[in-house]
Amino acid sequence: MMEGLTETTWTTGDLLERLERGERFFILDVRNRDEFGRFRIEGREPLPAVNVPYFEMLELGGKDEMVDSVVAYLEQHMANQLPHTLPILSVCAKGDTSEYVSQGLYRLGYASASLKGGMKAWGLHYATRAVVETPTLAVYQVSRPARGCLSYVVASAGKAVVIDPLRHLHPYLDLARSKGLTIERVIDTHGHADHISGGPALAAQTGASYHLHPYDAIHPIDVLPATVAFEPIRDGQIFAVGQHQLEVLHIPGHTLGLVALRLGDRCLFTGDSIFVRSIARPDLGGKAETWAPLHGRSLRKLLELPGRMIVLPGHFASLAEADDKGIFAASLDDLKQRNDGLLVLQGENEDGFVHYLLESLPRFIPEYVDIKRVNAGLLAADDDAASILETGKNVCALSQAYKDSSGETT
Amino acid sequence: MSQSFDKLLDVRGLNCPMPLVDTRKEIGKLQPGQVLKVMATDRGSVADFQSWAKIAKNVELVAQETETVDGATVYVHYVKRTA
Repeated sequence: MMEGLTETTWTTGDLLERLERGERFFILDVRNRDEFGRFRIEGREPLPAVNVPYFEMLELGGKDEMVDSVVAYLEQHMANQLPHTLPILSVCAKGDTSEYVSQGLYRLGYASASLKGGMKAWGLHYATRAVVETPTLAVYQVSRPARGCLSYVVASAGKAVVIDPLRHLHPYLDLARSKGLTIERVIDTHGHADHISGGPALAAQTGASYHLHPYDAIHPIDVLPATVAFEPIRDGQIFAVGQHQLEVLHIPGHTLGLVALRLGDRCLFTGDSIFVRSIARPDLGGKAETWAPLHGRSLRKLLELPGRMIVLPGHFASLAEADDKGIFAASLDDLKQRNDGLLVLQGENEDGFVHYLLESLPRFIPEYVDIKRVNAGLLAADDDAASILETGKNVCALSQAYKDSSGETT
Repeated sequence: MSQSFDKLLDVRGLNCPMPLVDTRKEIGKLQPGQVLKVMATDRGSVADFQSWAKIAKNVELVAQETETVDGATVYVHYVKRTA
């Protein structure tokens, strides 16, 4: 939808709303080409985007001042490439340069906006949505949309358990404060490879206990024990949350210590096993052939649970996986009908499914080895180093999950 | 490292794109063969100066280094006007 010839700023919250609504707009990304290649804004459907580094506009536009260079560059080199029928969002690394670009577009008569805080802010944006909210039970999904990471807060009678908290603690602390919750436990469903866990830090800050399956307290590639303090969890263990209970289901495959958490017959927190569109990859520990059969058996175990249970996964690959409330969830019965990996699982024997898994592996992300080291306490990462390790969208699902959203296969 | 230079441009504290905008203006004032030392605090300037130097006319990025000044990391770029 056009807003007229305005020059405005979109916050990262504005951007998320527009992406969730499936709004069409054009992206002019002025970061350097490497940065654009690693991490870009993705909508429910591929959005038209072009990458022109700002220094090319400056040099080829050839003027002293940035806005003048932008105008000269766009007139000389891009007059036929920019739409007059869509808003154009200028995007840069931190939100300063895109202001100049946006002003240049405005001067040329385009409906123009700049992303406030740039891709740095977008990468750090968090959203909290209520999945269940009754007088005795609440479940919140806390997402980091640019990275496709999902985490959860389960609350009852003023007590809360946080599942798979992400690196920044403010979403959980803010939620606990606003809802009057005491965080009693923090549980990581597994040792994460794609993002740095907020678990140990959240537990330390709130006085909660931190729980992890002991198999994931050994770095799978280094074969070294974690130095972070944790309470080991085991299959069948029950955690009370106010008037409700979470039951641990050990489901090795993506990692050896992966667990799902079952909230009665209502919700199933699947970690990195079943996502909405796809299923998790079994190769991030470097043992794909050995772990793939375990993965298949664990998934079959989950399929035996009551079909009305709502699956709440650890990731998404595309915003198109969200429902109309922006929540990434679906019933197990629903997913049996439409999840790519579960459809194959139900139609194949163990060998056939293992073959499918091994044929569907996306590229290995070298940073993931270091992220697991950070999560195990084997490597330190300050905020800058952590941000670099966490650049871009997670690649924890099988490869078909990434085919549509960016227009490219990983 | 002791890279020689003819003029100093201090853009510490300035955000993108100002380090490059100001550098282009200063380079225009140099004689061919002279070197500008640019001191920036924007870490993104490291990659941006490299990519910019590849497409800019009559410019060579001679060296890049980091210094610590008053506890802050400073990204230093030596830019030569070549013609």
